[in-house]
Amino acid sequence: MKNSLLISFREFKERIGARSFISLSILGPLFVLGMIYLMFTYGGNSKQHWNVLIADHGNLLESKIMPGTSNAVTYSFYNGVISEADFADGEKYQQFDALLEVNEKVLTNKIGFVFYREEPDLKMQTRVQYHLERRLEEILVERFKTISLNDYRKIKQPLTLRYANVYDPNEQSSDLAGWAGLFFGVLIFAFIFLFGMTILRSVAKEKSNRIVEVLLASVSPRQLMLGKIAGIGFSAFLQFLFWIAIIGAGLYFMRENIFPDMLDASNMNVQQLVIDSAEQTYQESHFAAREYNQFIELVFERIQFVNMIVFFLIFFVLGYLFYGALFAAIGATTGSESDGQQFVLPLIFLLCFAMYAGYYTLNYPESSLSTVFHYLPFTSPVVVMVKLSQGYGPGEGYQIYFSLIVLLMSSILMLVVAGRLYKNGILQFGHRVRLKHIFKWLRKN
Amino acid sequence: MLEIKNISKSFYRNIALDDVSISIKKGEIFGLLGPNGAGKTTLIRIINRIVEPDKGSVRFEGNLMTSQNLSDIGYLPEERGLYKSMTVHNQALFLGRLRGFSKKDTLAKMDFWFDKFNVNNWRKKRIEELSKGMAQKVQFVCAVLHEPKLLILDEPFSGFDPINVELIKQELIEMRAAGKTIILSTHNMKSVEEICDRAVLIHESKKIAEGSISDLQSAKKIGMYAVRFKGSMIAFVNALWTGFEVIDKDILGDDRFIVRVKMRGENSFQDLLKVLIGQIEIEAAWEMMPSMQDVFIDLVQPKEEADEK
Repeated sequence: MKNSLLISFREFKERIGARSFISLSILGPLFVLGMIYLMFTYGGNSKQHWNVLIADHGNLLESKIMPGTSNAVTYSFYNGVISEADFADGEKYQQFDALLEVNEKVLTNKIGFVFYREEPDLKMQTRVQYHLERRLEEILVERFKTISLNDYRKIKQPLTLRYANVYDPNEQSSDLAGWAGLFFGVLIFAFIFLFGMTILRSVAKEKSNRIVEVLLASVSPRQLMLGKIAGIGFSAFLQFLFWIAIIGAGLYFMRENIFPDMLDASNMNVQQLVIDSAEQTYQESHFAAREYNQFIELVFERIQFVNMIVFFLIFFVLGYLFYGALFAAIGATTGSESDGQQFVLPLIFLLCFAMYAGYYTLNYPESSLSTVFHYLPFTSPVVVMVKLSQGYGPGEGYQIYFSLIVLLMSSILMLVVAGRLYKNGILQFGHRVRLKHIFKWLRKN
Repeated sequence: MLEIKNISKSFYRNIALDDVSISIKKGEIFGLLGPNGAGKTTLIRIINRIVEPDKGSVRFEGNLMTSQNLSDIGYLPEERGLYKSMTVHNQALFLGRLRGFSKKDTLAKMDFWFDKFNVNNWRKKRIEELSKGMAQKVQFVCAVLHEPKLLILDEPFSGFDPINVELIKQELIEMRAAGKTIILSTHNMKSVEEICDRAVLIHESKKIAEGSISDLQSAKKIGMYAVRFKGSMIAFVNALWTGFEVIDKDILGDDRFIVRVKMRGENSFQDLLKVLIGQIEIEAAWEMMPSMQDVFIDLVQPKEEADEK
């Protein structure tokens, strides 16, 4: 144990002493912040106009929504049920770009559905979402007059709008927060790949310069492998903390200084929304002046950062152990560094596949394949992030813990298997790796 | 000190060691000899618990060897390496602590050894900045830093210049005097003769000889004697009769020679001296022992020739 700590401490020191570590710790998050800034500033400058038909069967909205003079969206109301097929092909509906379905349930489950003919950009999605959300707030406040504004804010949950192509309703376009989840998932895999490759190179280097023999005279191969994975993992973790700190500080700075008038529900008096038309016009103009900030709302309002970051870190650690063990095993079994690169290719495919699984889940969150990806240890870190940001349905919260347990067990199993490969492969030099070797080493304890 | 009993080890179909037993005493320099691929490195790895034997046991100071004993062993592998981007100081500190020494003790020992080997000025340099010889010195220091009771050196002299070879040899002799046990695996037979007390020869996975250096040499002596004399070479040759054969000669001066003579038949050293006395002025005469190189070749080659047939 003590020796594993020494090994991991050495690895940790070597990583954080490298120039690339320092530059990636600072430039990486600055790059992300720059991208966020660009999205804040230019992300939604589309002038597209949208004609939205609201099918409000129960007349929940009372044919009212956020101020009706918006240049970007024109709402029409229909107090009945319109099927997707009717909307898709019905002649009288062709003038509308999208169908927004609203019913009584939306007040409790906070999920609405939009069927579009042509996929709207993110800005338009947020705008419709914002309009509907504010109208629902008015209704809620009217219904619960006794509730205080503070209490209301406590129970308030963001609305989720599920977008689907009306001609292909099964292809559900995700809500915005899903993209944030995918971003987190991709970030996990980017770090896993980056630091996984560091593990591989480190193992291959120790093997090629033969210091491994001196090390193995003091520590067991498993201790060596675990120490190495842990040490490099700690440096990855530290880098994460840098990223979180810098991006967090950057977002705070933007919120306070660059975009101080962003859409923040806490800055709005909800009761003021239920006012006369003159005031409404003021609200609309106020909104219009700030509406380019839809990404700000996404970043500051819709992502549940605490929740996301906790699960993000847990899934990162487990995903890292799972893939890190694989990278270590590859490094130990290959005869040379260049040989190792060949074996990395399948791993890269696997990582790409995981990212695709995240994207797939974003588009088909309810599909059975998404459920499989959600539990598959190769893909779960990214898929869970997407699902988490999309929100689990009532009573579905256990799924995340189940996925966590599957990934934990798989990581332990992978460490055992990789430990065996590492032990039997680390002292084999200058050979060409063949699958039969790998099977032999796996059988051998 | 170290009792290796009936060790066998195979790697799939290749037998690396076949029932090898060796006993190594405390305070001796023990030569581990054998041609390439004989199984020496496997044996060293088994002693270091890097690989496990299929059969047999290793006892250290009377008890079955455990990982606890590893801190009492120093190891300098043949294909040795260091972390190239690490400084000499950090490297030695890391390896010393890995062998169970505290940071304080390691630092104290580093001062001692770095002084002794003139490495102090290079402490802050990275390994990649050192010459090969200097890196070899650092490797040697790292192997002995934690004051092991047993030191295992695999080709320790390779890459060193003659001055540093002498430095290492002297160090090994001093360590032996201090009661340390040293296993020396080398192909340099001259150094085996010079510093080893005993040796084992492993060939094709099996032990084929073990004993003190003089015993190993004696077992292979071929009845050859050397005579240093003053006088005429013609007189020397005329004095010999058919019972002796002149092998070769060294000319020391105008009329001084060393001649090596091999006995024939039942003739003895006494007979040789008898025929020479009165013919030449004998300054010295002694029995020629085979070099360890000859012993090595003699033990290994016949088997290889037999295998070829």
